[in-house]
Amino acid sequence: MSINTTAWLVLAFPLAGTILIALGRPILSGRKAGVLGTLAIFLSFLSALVTCLKLEDRPEESRQFVVSLWDYAVTSDLNAKFSILIDPLAMVMILVVTGVSTLIHLYATGYMASDKGIFLIIGWGLVGAASYLLISFWYRRKTATKAGIKAFVINVVGDVGLVLGAIIIINQTGTVDLLGSFAKAPQVFSHDGTTIVAGCLLLLVGAFAKSAQVPFHTWLPDAMEGPTPVSALIHAATMVTAGVYLIARMHPLFEIAPTAANTGAVIGCLTLVIAATIAIVVTDLKRVIAYSTMSQIGYMIMAVCVGGYAAGMFHLITHAFFKALLFMAAGSVISAMAGEQNLNRMGGFRKSMPITYACFIVGGLALSGIPPFSGYFSKDDILYVVGAQGGWHWALYAAGYAGALLTAIYTFRMIFRAFHGEPCEEAKSLESGRIFHAEEHRNPGDGTLETTEVGYPGAKHHIAERTAGMAISMFLLAVLATVGGVIQLPDVSWGLDRFLEPSFVGAKVLPTNHALEIFGLVFGALIGLSGIATAWFIWIKRPGMSARIEQRLPAAHRLFVNKWFFDEAINAVFVKPFAAIGRFGERTFDRVVIDSAITGGSLSLVRISSAAVRSLQNGMLRGYIAAVVVGTTFVTLYFLLQS
Amino acid sequence: MTNLSILIAIPLISTLVGSLLGKRGAAAFAVLGALVTLGFAISIAVDYDTAKAGAQFAVDQVWIAPLGVHWALAIDGLNLALIVLTAFVYSCVAIACALRNWDNPGLFFVWLGLGASSVLGAFLAQDLLLFILFFDLMLIPFYFLTGQWGGRDRVPATTKLVIYTLAGSLLMLAAGVAAGAMTASETGRPIDFLISNLADHPLSKGTQQWLFLCFAAAMLVKMPAFPLHGWLKDGYRAMPLPVLAIFSGVLSKVAAYGLLKLVLPIFPSAAASFQTLMLVIGLASIIYASVLAFTTDDARLVVAYSSVAQLGFILIGIFSLTDDGAQGALLQMVNHGLVTVPLVLILGLLAARSNGSERLSSMGGIAVGAPVLAVVFLIAALANLAMPGSANFIGEFLVLRGVFGSTVVIAVIACLGVVLAAVYMLRMYIRAMHGPNDNGCEERDIGWLEALPIVPAILLVLALAVSPQPLLNRSESAAQASVAKAAAAADQNPVSHEASR
Repeated sequence: MSINTTAWLVLAFPLAGTILIALGRPILSGRKAGVLGTLAIFLSFLSALVTCLKLEDRPEESRQFVVSLWDYAVTSDLNAKFSILIDPLAMVMILVVTGVSTLIHLYATGYMASDKGIFLIIGWGLVGAASYLLISFWYRRKTATKAGIKAFVINVVGDVGLVLGAIIIINQTGTVDLLGSFAKAPQVFSHDGTTIVAGCLLLLVGAFAKSAQVPFHTWLPDAMEGPTPVSALIHAATMVTAGVYLIARMHPLFEIAPTAANTGAVIGCLTLVIAATIAIVVTDLKRVIAYSTMSQIGYMIMAVCVGGYAAGMFHLITHAFFKALLFMAAGSVISAMAGEQNLNRMGGFRKSMPITYACFIVGGLALSGIPPFSGYFSKDDILYVVGAQGGWHWALYAAGYAGALLTAIYTFRMIFRAFHGEPCEEAKSLESGRIFHAEEHRNPGDGTLETTEVGYPGAKHHIAERTAGMAISMFLLAVLATVGGVIQLPDVSWGLDRFLEPSFVGAKVLPTNHALEIFGLVFGALIGLSGIATAWFIWIKRPGMSARIEQRLPAAHRLFVNKWFFDEAINAVFVKPFAAIGRFGERTFDRVVIDSAITGGSLSLVRISSAAVRSLQNGMLRGYIAAVVVGTTFVTLYFLLQS
Repeated sequence: MTNLSILIAIPLISTLVGSLLGKRGAAAFAVLGALVTLGFAISIAVDYDTAKAGAQFAVDQVWIAPLGVHWALAIDGLNLALIVLTAFVYSCVAIACALRNWDNPGLFFVWLGLGASSVLGAFLAQDLLLFILFFDLMLIPFYFLTGQWGGRDRVPATTKLVIYTLAGSLLMLAAGVAAGAMTASETGRPIDFLISNLADHPLSKGTQQWLFLCFAAAMLVKMPAFPLHGWLKDGYRAMPLPVLAIFSGVLSKVAAYGLLKLVLPIFPSAAASFQTLMLVIGLASIIYASVLAFTTDDARLVVAYSSVAQLGFILIGIFSLTDDGAQGALLQMVNHGLVTVPLVLILGLLAARSNGSERLSSMGGIAVGAPVLAVVFLIAALANLAMPGSANFIGEFLVLRGVFGSTVVIAVIACLGVVLAAVYMLRMYIRAMHGPNDNGCEERDIGWLEALPIVPAILLVLALAVSPQPLLNRSESAAQASVAKAAAAADQNPVSHEASR
């Protein structure tokens, strides 16, 4: 098989799996469908692996090429073909997506065994619509469907940005072919000129909407309404990292538009800090992880925007491992709590769920950047790339470390509160070997009472660590989260750098600073450890201290708990005005102006003139005679005046 | 030898024959006639030579000699897809109608057949007066279909519809006659109304401008565009659903097609000078209708306003006076026609499940019990909001790119319409399908008979999503030709075209 075939197989397997499951719905049980779905993604992963190996066999200069299947929309000067671009950068993305997805599917097959898990797998085929479908998976829930709409609409805003950006670039370079437009870009755009900056800023809107960067992030925490495997799929492995990939992919354009790239870096930096401050006060277990995702993607965006493409992709890979692991482990805790996600009600799960606890610790250490876990190396790589550029980048560098400190604090706050302390009722029941089932189910989002048919969790639910499939995927991810750093050890093996090289030929060369590199490695470890120590001090050593801090800093607390008021602002600026205009239009404008003035006006004109004519024809001889006389007089007068 | 006159005659003749055969016969003959029309249209599409530009299968006979009216029909890149669309939509609608009971079915199907015939006639006409004749003829069957078989408030609705469209049509008729007469007197040749002849001998700019306005009024009312949409709300509410499917699916496209086929080639310099006005009208239609669709509680009005917004996109595509814009507009005409049929018919299914109410607030949560219906509805909704990956997305992309090439500001504001479309379509979908079923709606999945007119349209939407290329190939040269002169005129007009390529 040629490399072209295997590359297309990567796409064909999930699609075929989706169609098979959709058509076989009546005869396939949920479990069989789950196995089929997992198999399809696994085959896709294998194809990606084979493609990757074949790509490595090729000489370095021909490791970037396009394969076209058919003309999609070729007209006038638009030339869109159904084609894919294969290069090491794309391979990294495909491997991460298919690899982690395989494990998530394996986990989901168990997690959703008592549920309508089939939709999850069908949804995979169309990742675009999937974000909506999957988030509103529990579609009897109002909060879930609302979150689904929000995610979809914000993503449409992103798509619009992407489309406008693409139009600008296509119009100037005259080609929709990525490689072609990169080649032409330096000639047609002036360096940092208005056009290319505008185009790149619009592309950034697309990237930010997909990757939940400020201010397009509000959909991500709400998307936690979806089932946990979905959260893992969307928020660790696939969709949210698309923005990072987009910027890395379009790097030749961003490099001639430094203003746009710098804007991106600043926004990434803002996001990583803002999200970390929210994560430190949120009480919903999954939302802590969601804000953490947002924050970590902030690091990646910052990296790719300052030119650290390999560093950004490195963190993308390790993050996919440890974040998927954390989501799966969180799913296990939530199962044990019978759907409850509030950290305030959790506690002491350490003994009853040792495997889950271990997974949380591994994932948490990787997230906090503690050596030798994978996240340590990737986060350090990003901050090093940023700091080595000097100048105003030092501000980003400092903010990055502040974020790292907050990261370690909120991560271990979550772990300490869920697993340490006095065991809660659910944990005790689990220790005595019985999975807790709630008497009544409440929506974790808004606390309303729900019937079991809303979805989760049915009467027979499992917890992840006691089911083989789920435990295997958690174990594999834990291993990867631990050793994932080896693909790029500083000075020992710049493996990823070298692998990605053919994708970034001609990209700007980053300054190096050996002393900073050593400093970062030591300082990063210290920051992570001191964050964990702080969390230990606040939530274990001195219980009640967090409440005191809240009292000391009421303004900051209010800001963080209300998520910096982004939702309220967006509501006030966009949603409410449009709703008001719509209501005005329907109730007032359409009735008064269109109906009364335009329609009514012309109708009554017809009516009045017909009434006038009718009233003249009243059959009264006198009237007719009078009309004839008046008419004749006027005609006579007219001719008299004319002459 | 393919005779296009036969294509026009089939729907009318089949329903006329059917009306003599009683209740069953009327429905059966209507469906049969529709399928034969569709087969005929597909065979034309197969025989159509993509490589050859210009009219094919042309029929041209002098019809009313003293007036110089020709019975001139032809297929070119502009109308090929629309002919197939019309035949397809008519087939779906005929099937949907045949599955319901109507008072006096013989007459009902005759009006429906006449409607289809006149739409086909308008698309095929190559003579200006013939086009206007068919354009006005379209109104009659829909007047009766609404007035006799419509729902509540059908009488004021039909009155409004007739006054609006008649006012527009009469202006167009007067302008059409004037265009022919003035061209004849200027060139000194005997009067005729062949579109190609009129386009070859453009009138002076001042004359073009008032003729253009008359034509534009007729087209904008028919589409409809803001602020000439006064008839839309009552008209849409009063029409029986299957009739609405064909009305919304293809009749509005005749107007948009008219702009491309007649108005741009015959009045190029007027089109250039009124370019900004038309773009603003299109933009206003997009934004205003989208906002209304976002707040209204009537599911039918969501479809109605969404259709106004889509036609707004088509309008700005056409008046971007670029190849991309025209191509995008043509693609959107087909896409919108295809997606409207399932949307309108699904609306009927939803109403049937929520005690006959078409209000969003009385629908709810039936996806659990009706998963197939939910999927079918979702595909239609996502296509209508132009999700990336659908042919509608390509259409909107081309339109936006075209408008971007002529007036950047309008393109940027029009993007708001793209976002709002996502909001109102999802809102409708979610109200009907998701959430708790607290209105006691019947959770019954789509039945085989219900699916019969809907699923083919959905499959076609999916097929176009995989490859819109065949459509674009066939319309490319014709779309370029229809905007070429107006674009050239706009390029000479520095005021309205400061941002040109």
